[in-house]
Amino acid sequence: MTARERLGQLRTKFGSAIRRADVPGDHRLFVYVESCALKAVCRYLFLDLDARYVVSIGADDRPYSGGFLLAHDFAFDADHLLCSVLTHLPAENPKADSISGVVPAANWAEREIRDLVGIEPVGHPYPKRLVLPDGWPENAHPLRKDAPWNELPAGFDPEREFQFDDPPEGCIVVPFGPFHPTLDEPAHFRLFIEGERVRGCEYRGFMVHRGIEKLAESVLTYNDIPMMAERICGICGCVHNVAYAQAVESAAGVTIPPRAEYIRTIMLEVERLHSHLLWVGLACHIVGFDTLFMQSWRIREPLMWAAEKISGNRKTYALCLIGGVRWEITPELALELRQVLDRLETEWRAVAAAVSRDKNLQKRTRGVGVAGPALVKSAGLIGPVARAAGVEIDCRRDHPYAAYDRVEFNVITADGCDVWSRVVVRMNEVFESVRILRQCLEKMEPGPLQSPVAAELPVGRLGLSSVEAPRGESHHFVITGENNRPRRWRVRAPTYQNLQAVPAMIKDQQIADMTISLGSIDPCFSCTDRIETIDLKSGETRIWTQEELIRNLRP
Amino acid sequence: MLSLSKLKEAWLCLKAGRVTLPYPARGRPAPARFRGRPVFDAAKCIGCAGCANNCPAREILVCDLCQEIRVLQYLGRRCTYCGRCADVCPEKAITLSLDFETATERIGDLRQRLDLFMSTCQRCGRCFKETSWLDQLKLKGYRFDDVQNERWVLRSRACLESEPAVDDLKIDLDGP
Amino acid sequence: MNLPRILLGGLANLGLVMIFAPACEGLLRKVTALIQSRQGPPLRQAYFDLLKLLGKEDLESGQTPWVQRFAACLSPATALTVACLVPMGFPAPLNGVGDAILLIYLLTLSGIGTLLGGLAAGSTYSLVGISREMMTMIALEPLFTVTILAGAVHTGSLRVNQVLDGSVYATAGFPWSGLVLFGVILASFQAFVQRAPFDIAEAETELMDGPLLEYSGPKLALFRYAQMIRLVVYSALFVSLFVPWGSGLAFPIGWLLFWAKVLGVVLLVTVVAATHARYRIDQAIRFFAGLLAAALGALLLASYGH
Repeated sequence: MTARERLGQLRTKFGSAIRRADVPGDHRLFVYVESCALKAVCRYLFLDLDARYVVSIGADDRPYSGGFLLAHDFAFDADHLLCSVLTHLPAENPKADSISGVVPAANWAEREIRDLVGIEPVGHPYPKRLVLPDGWPENAHPLRKDAPWNELPAGFDPEREFQFDDPPEGCIVVPFGPFHPTLDEPAHFRLFIEGERVRGCEYRGFMVHRGIEKLAESVLTYNDIPMMAERICGICGCVHNVAYAQAVESAAGVTIPPRAEYIRTIMLEVERLHSHLLWVGLACHIVGFDTLFMQSWRIREPLMWAAEKISGNRKTYALCLIGGVRWEITPELALELRQVLDRLETEWRAVAAAVSRDKNLQKRTRGVGVAGPALVKSAGLIGPVARAAGVEIDCRRDHPYAAYDRVEFNVITADGCDVWSRVVVRMNEVFESVRILRQCLEKMEPGPLQSPVAAELPVGRLGLSSVEAPRGESHHFVITGENNRPRRWRVRAPTYQNLQAVPAMIKDQQIADMTISLGSIDPCFSCTDRIETIDLKSGETRIWTQEELIRNLRP
Repeated sequence: MLSLSKLKEAWLCLKAGRVTLPYPARGRPAPARFRGRPVFDAAKCIGCAGCANNCPAREILVCDLCQEIRVLQYLGRRCTYCGRCADVCPEKAITLSLDFETATERIGDLRQRLDLFMSTCQRCGRCFKETSWLDQLKLKGYRFDDVQNERWVLRSRACLESEPAVDDLKIDLDGP
Repeated sequence: MNLPRILLGGLANLGLVMIFAPACEGLLRKVTALIQSRQGPPLRQAYFDLLKLLGKEDLESGQTPWVQRFAACLSPATALTVACLVPMGFPAPLNGVGDAILLIYLLTLSGIGTLLGGLAAGSTYSLVGISREMMTMIALEPLFTVTILAGAVHTGSLRVNQVLDGSVYATAGFPWSGLVLFGVILASFQAFVQRAPFDIAEAETELMDGPLLEYSGPKLALFRYAQMIRLVVYSALFVSLFVPWGSGLAFPIGWLLFWAKVLGVVLLVTVVAATHARYRIDQAIRFFAGLLAAALGALLLASYGH
């Protein structure tokens, strides 16, 4: 079904509740509805039409339209369609019906909108603070246009603590994080343990907020933001870089040259390779198998050198500008990349064969961290986690971007729904990535790297972009704006959705499996936490905990 | 305990040999395109401030001391080595060297300062032919970044007119 | 009971073990690095680590500091006492004073030292760590006890020198019980020395080092030293119980051969540790339970003279 046909279905069902619709092509649909009908429309899309929930976005549109904007993004993967359902809310006391009762996946997104923009989700099952630090005063919403990006609001209380839930009967509380050797980034999971089994979990995260979205609206410009976007994540930066550029290009109607599309595809797949190899090593380290950890990273290293030769840095490729890419792949570099890929593929086949026969590793990972297709649908899980449950979704095939419509590849799935299936999916995706890279290197034609952007970008246009990161779908929403910068930029990283399912995955499992279950979603907390915060650098002393000291002392 | 698969794994590992390098005992040069510390060439610089306008980290400050003298200062503290300054420079006065060993105890070591004698026509920010509209100069006319306090100050009648003066962060790492 | 002889012998054993233990640890780390395609630390690194820790400030942060101090001293002290009970190339110095039962008690006490340490610290992770350690100990100690008992049954004596001289093979016919026990102890040896796949109690990535979490500086040095000594002592025990041939040769051949065999055991431990992932506690306990059944079967065989 095309976008217009879907719109037709909505119009038939909801008639006058639909105020306006924009269909900028067959693959994007923007539907403006009455705020009272928002929940019904979302329910229809999610349950009746079986769309996949992506993210909810709140924006302060008061300087432009006099009110707030609330959007819920959905994806029709089989139709290759990304759809956004929007509504305008009044400037005074904005609130809308919460859709989390119908779409459990929207739980965090609505709490975030409440914290940062101040739109109240009425009827939300768990309206606790999610994103803002504990001491933040109640009615200060950072993403509003009248909130400054570089000042603490009046009433900030550094002594206030977060109120955690009480543990259920008979359970003790084991804190996991914010400092833990397994976690590279801080996150706090409060595990409720009974004996050796986890009975529940409460998550308090968003400790590495850096104010990226607010900065993009206030201080940076269109071409500065890609450099900032790739620093959202320490492993999958290129994804955000490309997704943002694509969202703006889609909103503004800029097309990029074909060679640039191929180069974006190549760098994205190089990134996927390095991320998956890194992850397999990390998963082995978590279960105590350091040797395989070292070997995976040894095999990965020539790929990092190749990326450095092409882009100038091992990981932050600084690849995209609006309108194209910055780095050329010369014939020598292409040849070198081919050699690296050949060697990598041979070595990885041997490792994959060894790992699949390894009973020891399988014992630790089979039946652990189970997330079945029902959880995938209700929590909106994506990426290898979903594919390991047999759900075949992959943005490269479902919402093709860059040069993915011109290459052939398989979408790897497995049926186990557990950590072992995720290991298998990621190991096999390595071979698919190598295949895509070879095709790109072959099919790439000489040409310019950038399209000229002759005129000002149009203002007030919406753009959506979904890019398949190694962890899942990374979705960017942009509203173009004045002064050479966007009005609103929302980043939904894949870990944002996958983390919400962790409490369900670890329930009734053993505490020893907690880390590998968490690790199997390949969490990237930096990707997840990137909304608004203020730099509290001045005058804050850091008290080292005992654990930190001991960790540093251990030989 | 040592089943066949484990032996095969061990064999794979031993076949690979030792791959860790004796750095820093032996140096390791970076590849040709490596984006290291930027080096500013005062002889080539024309003082157009294109680099300052396009630095995502706002680490290049420009200040007009008088009609003839413009001071350009690269602070280097938050530099992300993205290379945008080198991209947009019309005179290719900025090169990103291969230098990555820039750790120092004094933040001032990273600073590069250029004192430029400007020829008469400065008002139009001449010779900065931007590659696209997105890179255009945000400021025309005099620049007054607060070099003393190391702040980037936006004050002009160019396209960012509706913005108030934006204060930058002051990071004092030269302290006791 | 010849006091000067005991003292000299004791000092010799102690000195040997104390000097040799960090070297074995260094060898373990170097070989692990080789398997992992790395340079690895120098062989002397374990000595440097101990010296560094001993020089640090002694922070006391747990609930009962004096128990922590006691536990930190108990651990290496018991391990070193066991060293005096094991014949290391020549008869054990404390042979006349203690017997095999004392050996078993001292080994258990060494493990209890770690448990006390974890309890005294009192943090959540150390408590979970000692609960795992306790479960492992309960499953493991019987295996060793059964082995000693089988040896005692064969030789008819509990004297250390006789039990630890390959006594499990001392049957009239084919030593079935000895071979079964050899297999059992070989399969569980990694757990005795707390290496992968049975290093469950101090899993770094799961429990942040378990019972030793709250320790730093000199106390941590003592615990780590105790771990290194236990590696050497258990290897020596293994060699004397199951691979005794050649130790009877004249000094220095017999002595050198003994230590070569101990090194061999350490290398075996290293290779197994480097090539295995860590097991979960319930999987490990099931494994040990199976081994215990086999060991008891072997004891039964031993009592019938096989």
